[in-house]
Amino acid sequence: MGLTAFLVTQGLNAAALAALLFFISIGLTLIFGIMRIVNFAHGALYMLGAYTGFTVALLTGSYWLALIGAPILVGVLGLVIEAVVMRPLYRREHGSFLLVTFGLALVIGEAIRLGWGPEPRRFELPEVLAGSVTILGEPFPAYRLFLAIFGAVVAVALWQFLERTRLGLLVRATAQNAEMVHALGTDVHWIRAGVFALGCALAALGGVMAVPLVTAYLGLGVGIVVDAFVIVIIGGMGSFVGSVVGSLILGVVQTFGNYYLPDLALAAVYLAMIAVLVLRPAGLFGQRE
Amino acid sequence: MRSHIGRRQFLVTGTAAAGVLAAPPLLRRAWAQGSGPIRIGVPTAITGTWAALGAQVVRTCKLVQKEVDERGGILGRKVEFLFEDTQGNPANCVRKAQEMVERGKVNLFTGIMASSEALAVSAKLQEWNAFFLSAINGAGELTAEKYVPNFFRANTSGPMGARTIALYLKDAPEKTFYAIGLDYAWGHSSVGVFEKEIQRAGKEFTGKVFAPQGTKDYSTYITRIRQANPNGLYVAMTGDDATAFYQQAAQFKLGEKIQMVTELVDILNLKPGGEATLGLVGSSRYAFSIDTPENKAFVKRFEAEMKEVPDTFDGEQYQALQVLFKAIEKAKSTDTAALIKAMEGLEVTSVKGKVVMRECDHQGSQQGFVVKAVKRQGFAYPVPEVIRTYPADVVTPPCRKSSYS
Repeated sequence: MGLTAFLVTQGLNAAALAALLFFISIGLTLIFGIMRIVNFAHGALYMLGAYTGFTVALLTGSYWLALIGAPILVGVLGLVIEAVVMRPLYRREHGSFLLVTFGLALVIGEAIRLGWGPEPRRFELPEVLAGSVTILGEPFPAYRLFLAIFGAVVAVALWQFLERTRLGLLVRATAQNAEMVHALGTDVHWIRAGVFALGCALAALGGVMAVPLVTAYLGLGVGIVVDAFVIVIIGGMGSFVGSVVGSLILGVVQTFGNYYLPDLALAAVYLAMIAVLVLRPAGLFGQRE
Repeated sequence: MRSHIGRRQFLVTGTAAAGVLAAPPLLRRAWAQGSGPIRIGVPTAITGTWAALGAQVVRTCKLVQKEVDERGGILGRKVEFLFEDTQGNPANCVRKAQEMVERGKVNLFTGIMASSEALAVSAKLQEWNAFFLSAINGAGELTAEKYVPNFFRANTSGPMGARTIALYLKDAPEKTFYAIGLDYAWGHSSVGVFEKEIQRAGKEFTGKVFAPQGTKDYSTYITRIRQANPNGLYVAMTGDDATAFYQQAAQFKLGEKIQMVTELVDILNLKPGGEATLGLVGSSRYAFSIDTPENKAFVKRFEAEMKEVPDTFDGEQYQALQVLFKAIEKAKSTDTAALIKAMEGLEVTSVKGKVVMRECDHQGSQQGFVVKAVKRQGFAYPVPEVIRTYPADVVTPPCRKSSYS
């Protein structure tokens, strides 16, 4: 394998991993930005997305329907959670959200164990994604390429939504000053609920996307949510650009770090986080406390 | 965007949540171990990376409990299993085991999942005056450098599996080998023995790499292996990590040029791997296709109850419990000291054939199996078929050794 081929394929691997991390960290950061909630149930929702995707694929026989169906279903569940569990708590202090979302994570995790059982689950990819493509003489899984491109498409679409649409403007305004937006005649409740559901749907999308790599299994949400928290801290809490850049940094650090220093595989991510926090305590794109 | 909760508070709440995760569950009722049922503590991985393997342990224990009930108990006493979730974490495992000892008056343990957990529990056994019979734990040092009198191992260890496959590969056309293992006690133990044994077989060992538990993306490891370009790849992975690795290796077409061999062939990993795992060769601690009358009876009963064939740790847990019950019957007691005495030198014919619990290091001396993942009628996925069996005396290491030289 030549150096160019090595750098290109590793770069693509990093991008694919970054895409996966982006799906989960963006939901976390959006929810934090607008609701000031650290959603500990996010990993569980990601896992739920993976299992829901498995079931949709099993019932319909279509990967594409799973890719669309799981985020919608989990997004709807997000709406219900927001309305039933979160809304009564908005006037309380943040500690109660910690407990509630943490409890939700346990409930969802246990529900998955009871509903789907402990065996790992997977579905078949459609022909076009199941094969591999040759990149500079090296076989590279078509699915990883799809993952990287799809991640970029979703990131750009979300960015356009936040920056260019009226609804996106309201979302940003609510993040800045919810009371003012409310006073100006917009129902902030709906914006909160919508963003929470969107965050849940994006986590579920990440979950479905993860299945062809790691299968849907019971520990799925645990490891990745830690990475997502790290990304949110590196990028700056509540920052969209921070979440994109943070995901890319983590993707590159994990991919190249594992290659050159496999003994530091676990530490690399935290070393990156420490380095960022020392240089910019509020994260790369965050604002000082 | 401005925030009311700062980064510091975010970090504090995060740490607090991690603390809650690790906190003990609600206190359990206390039991007394007397002449009532025989209580066996099974602190195993019910959630986490090894949940699917823990599920095998739990279902087989429940099946055995039924069997024991049907034949009227052991020494006329019923058997009760106490399951606790350790998530495969050594600190959790020691705490749960200690709770069982102190509150549940349990002195018998089995079904512990990770070798790192087994090593942690093993170190406490004498203090607790407890007895632990491994059904799963592979790390060689448990019956060698870290030997304690209260620990016995009924299962095939990591070194035994590595030795078996290395013996088999001696005659294989592959000349160079690379290894990938999970980065904890068992993975290192297994890869270490394989490295020595494959060199002894006259092959070249070109390198090794260890991946942490819970690795999501194996692409860098696969790149490394591809660059080393060996004829054969030795895989010492288990649970969901192994499933993810095989799945990703297939997507990178790793198996096209490189023959993958492994210390553990589990149906659990063959199933999601699909066609990609066909032809995988490895040593096996237990396979449902082992041809003994005891095993046929077990598989039949198992299939009737579970609607599927037993996997590696179903068979290993079953064998361990047969050994344990034989020892209890011989000792006529569940007392720790009496059990140790009864267990030493005990000979049992189980699902895998003859097992002798050696007095010198408490390792169960037993045959080694090499299996290949093949298509078989009635199965939608590749299943392990025994292609070679090695006798116990070549497979089991010298006393209190975790290597063969």
